[in-house]
Amino acid sequence: MKKRPGGVLAVFQYLDDLTEAIEKVRGREDCEGYDVFSPTSYHEIEHACGFGASPVRFITFLGGMTGTITGFGMALLADWDWPLVVGGKTAVFPSLPAYFIFGFELTVLFGGVATIFAMLGFGKLPNPTNRILDKRFTDDRFGIFIPYAEEGGEQANLLKACGAEEIRAISPG
Amino acid sequence: MSEVKWTKTISDVNDGILANLPNPHPSYYVAWVTSIICLAIGIFCWVYQISYGMGVTGLNAPVYWGVYITDFVFWVGIGHAGTLISAILFLFRAKWRNTVNRSAEAMTVFAVITAGLFPLIHVGRIWFAAYWMLPLPNTNNLWVNFRSPLLWDVFAISTYLTISLLFWYMGMVPDLASIRDRTKGVKRLVYAIMCFGWRGTAKQWWHYEAGYGFLAALATPLVLSVHSIVSWDFAMSIQPGWHTTIFPPYFVAGAILSGCAMVYTLLVPVRTMFRLEGFITKEHLEACVKLTLLTSTLVFYAYATEFFVAYYSGNPYEWAIFEKRAVGPYAFYFWVMTACNCFFPLLWWSKRIRNNVAVSMVIAVLINVGMWFERYNIIVSSLVEDFLPGSWGHYEPSWAEIGLTIGSFGWFFFWFLIFCKFFPIVSMSELKLIMPKPLNPKKSH
Repeated sequence: MKKRPGGVLAVFQYLDDLTEAIEKVRGREDCEGYDVFSPTSYHEIEHACGFGASPVRFITFLGGMTGTITGFGMALLADWDWPLVVGGKTAVFPSLPAYFIFGFELTVLFGGVATIFAMLGFGKLPNPTNRILDKRFTDDRFGIFIPYAEEGGEQANLLKACGAEEIRAISPG
Repeated sequence: MSEVKWTKTISDVNDGILANLPNPHPSYYVAWVTSIICLAIGIFCWVYQISYGMGVTGLNAPVYWGVYITDFVFWVGIGHAGTLISAILFLFRAKWRNTVNRSAEAMTVFAVITAGLFPLIHVGRIWFAAYWMLPLPNTNNLWVNFRSPLLWDVFAISTYLTISLLFWYMGMVPDLASIRDRTKGVKRLVYAIMCFGWRGTAKQWWHYEAGYGFLAALATPLVLSVHSIVSWDFAMSIQPGWHTTIFPPYFVAGAILSGCAMVYTLLVPVRTMFRLEGFITKEHLEACVKLTLLTSTLVFYAYATEFFVAYYSGNPYEWAIFEKRAVGPYAFYFWVMTACNCFFPLLWWSKRIRNNVAVSMVIAVLINVGMWFERYNIIVSSLVEDFLPGSWGHYEPSWAEIGLTIGSFGWFFFWFLIFCKFFPIVSMSELKLIMPKPLNPKKSH
């Protein structure tokens, strides 16, 4: 397995300290590959990181369209295979209103499943062996990890100046 | 049970919600054992029915849809509030939903699974069910009828179950990571696998939030479509009392009413069992009551419109059914339904009653009773008397059908209570979002 790099981890108690630190770290060459940790999804962090619209939407759209085609296609293929006249409705066009149900339901189904796969895939999940740098990041603390940085280095001092309550070195692995 | 203290900061959330997961109030175990007993009754009745055939039920000409279909529609209806609260209220940014959405979603998942059992029970020979319900060609190479509302229903319910399950589980992933970080050994490993190795990085949250929004947007029309499609099981026929265009909105309103009432019925004991009164507060319960009251008035209006249209249509068959519903042999069911769904909830216009948890709990349970009777009333009263008086009959459920209905409650509560014991029933990551943001007091904002 590829060894994960060591670096410096800063723990923050306050959201505004964290966003200030992100804005300073962002764009610095010696902080490339930094990771931000948060117990919940504050939009302030998203803005500070400069994220735009998530690419999840493309996958949702593709999934949804696949579902629409599958839903209509399934009913129409059954018509093509053996045209069944029910309630005076002949196959294909006179029956299309009924097939909207399948088109709609499978749009939602495939779109939803695709969204889940996209959320996981873009988030590099599932990976149960992921390195947990600090257990408080799923509780009430925020964090920034800068790979290849050193504890007494410039980056660590910058994070400290922004209000980090704790700075510690993370060894590779 | 340990005392839970909170100071209303995000640091309290995990401690408060997870504190009593291992040691709930003893009433939890009483409820769990009761649900197992009910489930055992249901299993016995189902085994008996499979052994002796459908003759053990009260179903016979002209009534072939009875309590099982009533139970099916009832449980699908219960399942509606979960996604309404999760998806629609999420899109409307109703903050109070963040405390109740997890339990409502769990309720949805287990209610839809319970509902899904009833078509299987109803067909009798379950080993043929796949051929009758799924788009598989039969022995004559004929496909299922894609113009049948029953097949629409199969697709609607299975889509709803899948999406509700995904929505519920994805919402839980960050919380499962929180539990992982507080446990050790095998427990930690299990939670680590269940949370997919969630780390809470900004990028993960970014995609997660986007995906959650899309799921909510997809689930919103789905909630409205599912019970509309269930209503078409009836409305697409030409049976008097069923063949009306008001059915889809009427059914959706009814489903949300019963679902919200069930959310309340579940929340009140669960918040006591796990000492969550500080998180699921009286204000949240009141918001749930207000939503139930709103849907109750919609249902009341739908009942009135249905009756008026039956009269105004000038169709003697339609009117005869409605007249008999009110004063005929099934009048008892009709008046219980009307009292429970339309009149008792009116008490909630009083703020004092809305905030009285005990009285509100009684009203919520009565609404559940009323909603079950509504489905029974719609299904049975229309089927017993159709166009030919010579074929008229009477239907009463047999002990096996009643036993299976009791069993379905046991099955539902069994899973719901297990869920409450091992998973956080309040969404911790979403609760943190409605708490004051952790900002540095030394900085001016």
